[in-house]
Amino acid sequence: MKIGAPKEIEAGEARVAMTPDSALQLQKLGYDCVVESGAGIAAGFTDDAYQAAGVEVVKTAAALWKAADIIAKVRPPTAAEAKKFREGQLLISFFWPGQNEKMMETAKAAGTNVIAMDMVPRISRAQKMDALSSMANIAGYRAVIEAGNNFGRFFTGQVTAAGKVPPAKVLVVGAGVAGLAAIGTATSLGAITYAFDVRPEVAEQIESMGAEFVFLEFSADELPDGSATGGYAPPQSPEFQAKQLEKFREIAPEMDIVITTALIPGRPAPVLWTKDMVESMKPGSVIIDLAAERGGNCELTKADERIVTDNGVIIVGYTDYPSRMAAQSSTLYSTNIRHMMADLTPGKDGTVNHNMEDDVIRGATAVFGGEITYPPPPPKIAAIAAAPKKDKPKELTAEEKRANEIAAFKAQTKQQVTLLAIAGGLVLAVGLIAPASFMQHFIVFVLSVFIGFQVIWNVAHSLHTPLMAVTNAISSIIILGALMQIGSSSVLITILAALGIFMASVNIFGGFLVTRRMLAMFQKS
Amino acid sequence: MDFGFTIAAYAVAAVLFILSLGGLSGQESAKRAVWYGIAGMGLAVAATLIGPGSGLWLMSIVLIAAGAGVGYQLATKVQMTQMPELVAIMHSLVGLAAVFVGFNAHIELGRVAGMLGEAGLAFPQPEGPLAAQAYDLIGTMSNFAALLAKKTAVEVGILRVELVLGIWIGAVTFTGSVIAYGKLAGRVDSVAKQLPGGHMLNAGAAGASLLLAAMYLGGSGGWTLVLLTLLALFIGYHLIMGIGGADMPVVVSMLNSYSGWAAAAIGFSLGNDLLIVVGALVGSSGAILSYIMCKAMNRSFVSVILGGFGGAKGEQQAIEGEQIAIDADGVATALNDADSVVIVPGYGMAVAQAQQSVSELTRKLRAAGKTVRFAIHPVAGRLPGHMNVLLAEAKVPYDIVLEMDEINDDFPSTDVVIVIGSNDIVNPAAQDDPNSPIAGMPVLEVWKAKQVFVSKRGQGTGYSGIENPLFFKENTRMFYGDAKKSLDELLPKIG
Repeated sequence: MKIGAPKEIEAGEARVAMTPDSALQLQKLGYDCVVESGAGIAAGFTDDAYQAAGVEVVKTAAALWKAADIIAKVRPPTAAEAKKFREGQLLISFFWPGQNEKMMETAKAAGTNVIAMDMVPRISRAQKMDALSSMANIAGYRAVIEAGNNFGRFFTGQVTAAGKVPPAKVLVVGAGVAGLAAIGTATSLGAITYAFDVRPEVAEQIESMGAEFVFLEFSADELPDGSATGGYAPPQSPEFQAKQLEKFREIAPEMDIVITTALIPGRPAPVLWTKDMVESMKPGSVIIDLAAERGGNCELTKADERIVTDNGVIIVGYTDYPSRMAAQSSTLYSTNIRHMMADLTPGKDGTVNHNMEDDVIRGATAVFGGEITYPPPPPKIAAIAAAPKKDKPKELTAEEKRANEIAAFKAQTKQQVTLLAIAGGLVLAVGLIAPASFMQHFIVFVLSVFIGFQVIWNVAHSLHTPLMAVTNAISSIIILGALMQIGSSSVLITILAALGIFMASVNIFGGFLVTRRMLAMFQKS
Repeated sequence: MDFGFTIAAYAVAAVLFILSLGGLSGQESAKRAVWYGIAGMGLAVAATLIGPGSGLWLMSIVLIAAGAGVGYQLATKVQMTQMPELVAIMHSLVGLAAVFVGFNAHIELGRVAGMLGEAGLAFPQPEGPLAAQAYDLIGTMSNFAALLAKKTAVEVGILRVELVLGIWIGAVTFTGSVIAYGKLAGRVDSVAKQLPGGHMLNAGAAGASLLLAAMYLGGSGGWTLVLLTLLALFIGYHLIMGIGGADMPVVVSMLNSYSGWAAAAIGFSLGNDLLIVVGALVGSSGAILSYIMCKAMNRSFVSVILGGFGGAKGEQQAIEGEQIAIDADGVATALNDADSVVIVPGYGMAVAQAQQSVSELTRKLRAAGKTVRFAIHPVAGRLPGHMNVLLAEAKVPYDIVLEMDEINDDFPSTDVVIVIGSNDIVNPAAQDDPNSPIAGMPVLEVWKAKQVFVSKRGQGTGYSGIENPLFFKENTRMFYGDAKKSLDELLPKIG
């Protein structure tokens, strides 16, 4: 079969989905490769280089679409390209099926199968074809370079004969792939880097890249679990957002460069850098908004534009960072495509085996066999370990767990039955000699002991002292005995009973009062 | 009992008592739970006064009021550090009351037998319905006597068994609690001490009690009961004298349990279900507490009761290194540099009344943005939960006070640990040295922290007399002096 890479027709798109290097690898899988003439020029790959790699170069896009059974692209197909769809063809490109329903319908009508590179599930096995990550990596790097281009000072602090240069302070908001790449680049340039993310679990990653985690005081259990949404940050509660903005406002005047990368899947980018924050920044500061395409994290961002505010802050809203580094991004993207093809060609025989049972292929496929298959079912393997705590029991396989449970259950049952048998035997033995009037009380006694055991196990550890005081107070119930006896006609009994009443009531009042005193002291911070 | 209303009231009271214990599962619900307990007690007493206890009302109420006055004084004057003493002395009152009530039952039994005998009637009652003559006579007796008079031979026998049990347990509880109080209050030497003969003496006394009990049941008369009580008093005294100060949490909860069982036994002999219910609740509660305490020290209940530690199995490991002292400036510097601080309080903090200073230190450190937490070992202090109460009194928020299991894993990531007046509960020998007397006891792993400061009065060993290798570790510094004074010296230097 033939794989073809057309020239991207979107304005300003310099990337190409196949490089001479990737073509060599694809040929090893048994495919023939074809490119449109001039497809790689903008990324620095000449037609000659392709030909040298054994790739057929065709003159027009029409000829390419006709010749290739598999089309590898970067940008989603345009309406013009969609007209060239044909039955049985496989299209591999960024597709954004969620926002691109019309195009899915077109593909479905034409009988074209579509693999969306942006839908590759985030599981370990699929990392090699995760084009979003590889592009984000480039964007993060390029964001820092772009910032340096616009920033009038050094990144690193220097003390020179001509005076002292303070180091630049960089804040990276959102520590996803792009954010981490930006952190790495900024720190290696010598800037003091701070980073923020709503997922506290990435603090370690941030610190490992050499940046300081901007810590927000918020209790961990109020935070949503990022792992539940495939590793992307979920939307935040209003209180959390308020706290977050407050923190940003506090540090905004100190920052020289702010790089925002916060995106929430399927929603507009959250506004994290408001107008007043921009106004509080020093002139010459730079904001690079990587979320510009989705509305921007900064309130003032204009997509695809570089603007300068009244107070001299430069806000860069470019959306084409990968394309600005076309050679690098084409290399990475074409490698992603090549890995996808490798998974699609288990036999290395140059024919596609579109295995819909495979988690990765199923997840990325948007249209298949004249059916729209988006959205895919959730992958069978969780994207990220839910949380380290919950992870531990998972180490056992299901059978082992089951076996353990059964064994524990059996042991418990055995223990309980033995205890019950012994206790039951004892009770029966008592019942043999004791009269019925005694046994009536005995039932009450046994049940009370049982209730006591059940109830006391639940008492909080920190409340053991109050527990003792309270049990002490209520054990003075013995006063009832004394009260019953005091009416006796014997003087001795009356005196003893009176003493008993007195002592027990000291205990009752003392015990309850002191318990109340103690409990009143327990306060939450 | 012929009072339906009283029984109904008892049922409600029993439910209230159970709720009051169950409510102690959380700090907030506990505040409500106390009221359940109070309501239950009020209901029970009122119902008894109206029903079967309706003799000498005035005297009863005066006595209750007097008791209330004394109880109020005790409860409001007591220092929180003295809680263990107060609890111990209160147990002794329950024990003594149980003895009195038991004796009363015995005396009343004799009187009833005499009265019926004079009238030429059989006592205990033969099986079958009461003779009409007996019925009339019983009608003239007080409620309690009437109850006894209706019993058959087997019932009287059982009543005597219960009575003996109640008196015996009550008497042991009484002297035991008094001694426990003395040890906790420092009036009796806290070191384990026994008369020559040791546990043989206890065993002998227990054997003799059994013999006397058998004789009493065989009808030997009141003197056996008196002698039995004296023996029980001796056992209580000698048993607790033989237990060291460090084991007091177990002892106090054990005595708590005993006072409950005594009440239950008396409840049987009086045929009062509420007494049985409450006695059983208190008894099992104390038993569970003792079990938890023993487990926290990795010791069997028997070895605690038999006093002293369970005997070392071999030479203990020699400790190398020396204890290095540090002054307040050094501690302050380390604290100012630290991000996370864990404070481990022990009995020493209670003795020095240092909890207010600890609270102030916590407040200052927290204001400086540091994470401050407390690690509480289950047997820290002399009473279960003792440290929690002290810290609560000093207004340390309870959500930063953590249990051993919750915090033990966090020590490696902790910058500074301050150990205030605790010793055995932070002793690494429990894990490292199989020959240590406390080997296997779960301990707080403070030595894993980056730095440990130990506030301690001097170089001596603690209550248990076991050398603590923690004090000799490289990351440990000794902050000698009275805990309160040391902390007060430290406070102005923080922040």
